[in-house]
Amino acid sequence: MSLSLRRIGLVAARDFKNSITSRGFLIGLLIMPVMMVLFFVLVPRILNSHTPQITGEVAVIDATGKVTPELRHALVPAEIAARRAREATTPPAKNKAVVPAAAAGPPLPALTVAAQAPDADVQVFKTWLIQSRDARPQHLAVVVVQPDAVARRAGASAFGSYDLYTSVHLDNATEAILRDSVRAALVSARLSADGLDATAIGKVQQVFQPDSVVVAAAGEHSGSRGIAQFLPLASGILIFIGVVMGGTILMTSTVEEKSSRVIEVLLAAVSPLELMYGKLLAHLGLGLTMTAVYLFMGVYLLAQFSFAGLLDPMLIVYVLVFYIFTFLVFGSLMMTIGSMVNQMADAQAFQGPMMILLVGGYVLTPIIGAAPNSSFSVTMSFLPFINTYAMMARVASSAPPPGWQVLATLLVSCVTVAAVVWFAAKVFKIGLLMHGKPPSLGTLIKWARMA
Amino acid sequence: MTAALEIQGVRKSFGDTLAIESLDLSIPQGATYGLIGPSGAGKTTAIRMIMSILFPDRGSISVFGQGSALDAKDRIGYLPEERGSYRKMKVGAFLTYLGCLKGRTRAQAFGRADRLLGRLGLTDVTAKKCEDLSKGMLQRVQFVAAIVNEPDLLILDEPFSGLDPVSVRLLKEVITEEHQRGATIIFSTHVMAHAEELCEQIVMIHRGRKVLDEPISGLRRQYDKRRILLEPLDSGANLLALQAVPGVENVKLNDEGCELRLIAGTDPATAIRAIATVVAPARIELARIRLEDVFIRLVSETGAADASHEALRTHLQGLTQTGAIS
Repeated sequence: MSLSLRRIGLVAARDFKNSITSRGFLIGLLIMPVMMVLFFVLVPRILNSHTPQITGEVAVIDATGKVTPELRHALVPAEIAARRAREATTPPAKNKAVVPAAAAGPPLPALTVAAQAPDADVQVFKTWLIQSRDARPQHLAVVVVQPDAVARRAGASAFGSYDLYTSVHLDNATEAILRDSVRAALVSARLSADGLDATAIGKVQQVFQPDSVVVAAAGEHSGSRGIAQFLPLASGILIFIGVVMGGTILMTSTVEEKSSRVIEVLLAAVSPLELMYGKLLAHLGLGLTMTAVYLFMGVYLLAQFSFAGLLDPMLIVYVLVFYIFTFLVFGSLMMTIGSMVNQMADAQAFQGPMMILLVGGYVLTPIIGAAPNSSFSVTMSFLPFINTYAMMARVASSAPPPGWQVLATLLVSCVTVAAVVWFAAKVFKIGLLMHGKPPSLGTLIKWARMA
Repeated sequence: MTAALEIQGVRKSFGDTLAIESLDLSIPQGATYGLIGPSGAGKTTAIRMIMSILFPDRGSISVFGQGSALDAKDRIGYLPEERGSYRKMKVGAFLTYLGCLKGRTRAQAFGRADRLLGRLGLTDVTAKKCEDLSKGMLQRVQFVAAIVNEPDLLILDEPFSGLDPVSVRLLKEVITEEHQRGATIIFSTHVMAHAEELCEQIVMIHRGRKVLDEPISGLRRQYDKRRILLEPLDSGANLLALQAVPGVENVKLNDEGCELRLIAGTDPATAIRAIATVVAPARIELARIRLEDVFIRLVSETGAADASHEALRTHLQGLTQTGAIS
């Protein structure tokens, strides 16, 4: 019996319409942009607007007598901000978008240095740190500068350092600033002791890193490293989310059709294969819609930051092509799971191993994107179930693979899709009418051989 | 004329369980066949194979001359025993969808669905969601789904289960109309009265085998020569006195009079004359065979003795006197 494209189309149209108007899909579609807005826009603002400035005292027992004034200077908020700006690797003109963001971060702490006698008892100051959260001023830390921290002992190759004791109320961010300031104070004191100008040396050491310009036969374009690192990850997540969303809705709808017993009514009108292909097509379209929406949003965002020119249009084609292959493999498997069980709880048990494969492919994306032509990356590009992610990460990277490797990956994908759809069709045909205990792996293989 | 359904040597097993051992059946176009049998006999499996939802291990099934029901799905209407619907879908959209799947245009499917819903007392439900209907209403909608494509072959698996008497009557009327339109009807049921009322031919399946394939008219003509029904002229007559009549094994009283069972080998004509001399009858007759009796006797006797197929054939030949069993 030949398959009826008309019936496949009707099944696909109904399922697509039903799923795309469902609350689950709309929530799924909106959840990613909402999370992004929360993560990148709202959360920092909320955090910043409600983060109180940390104020308190730092006791310094300075055996050298030279570090305390330097530390007092290094802990001034303006000096902390200046130090951060000096550590930036991009030139000030292009760093505009970054500097205000850094400036808009949580307020810098106001730490007062309480200088102590060089021979002060450390044990006494450990007790000094123990106080209630509401006590004022807050005793936040004790810095004990070792005697050889500025001038090496005779015959020693290294300088001494310092010991740090902190209060339980000192947070990690403030401690990091304190450590950085002590380091700056020590370096400054050491340079001064040697008669060197710390400011001049700082300027000498500062080298801004420019964006690379990729020169190709077709012309030159910016090789923005940030975008190059981001694209493989973003492409992978687009495929991942589309497959998970479309596949999960497909599995759920199959379980529902089976448990509501409408399946036998449908099978009176269409063959199991027509039903399967129709459903697969509908949810492939559903995932494509979602991917297209996200792609559009991504391109729009890049355009907002004047990065749209960095995006190769072929990359969009690759995302769609690799999405289709990934969905056909994992969507077929998800639908098979739906046909095997009668309730979602059973489906979730079967879904676990498959999700490991799906997530595994995605997790490798940044590793492959960082070294796109390593032997590991090349091998992953030809491994079924993972190959689409791997190749997507490679084509989105700064050093795309040769064309024959892309074609080879597509060929592996075609064979994988054919094998998985063949298996899915066999199990789907039998599983649809089976009720009761979910089948074991042995039973599944038996079904595949029976059908 | 090509048979609506032709089944030859079909066998189906599920693992170690043999659902259908061997089934041969030919149903002419325009006929109404009742498929009866106890639970687990293989009726639903047989129907699912006819529908090409399941496939036989051996043998062939042709529907309207086509090698598979898959090639004739648009001409078939099917109401499965375990029927469902898309709960969130509107009734009109659900029925239109199924009609379209079976080759009708949207307008044709919606028009016929609307007309049939009205015929079954379900006006104004097309815009309601399936989940908003009562169980009885939904069952009628599901029945409409089976006939929305104006099928040439209508297969109904337990169509009346769970329906109230009024709905049963409405469905029977529509089934009769479909038959009059020319549709071939295959009707699976446990309720013998429904089969007797609607079917022209009865096929009984038991333990995966066809054990009866008989016209209902033929069955109705059969008489049980050991049972006599008596309605006395005088309602106060002593019916228990009939126990003493020669040849009478026992007497069972009922609302209308009594039922007498004769000893094996007793001539019923002689017994009737003797009975009439003891109690004046308003009505006295040999009991007709009821489908239910055939069903129970076939099932219980084959079950008790685990009779071989041959023994069963002999028994049925004796029962029906037609030798129509294959």
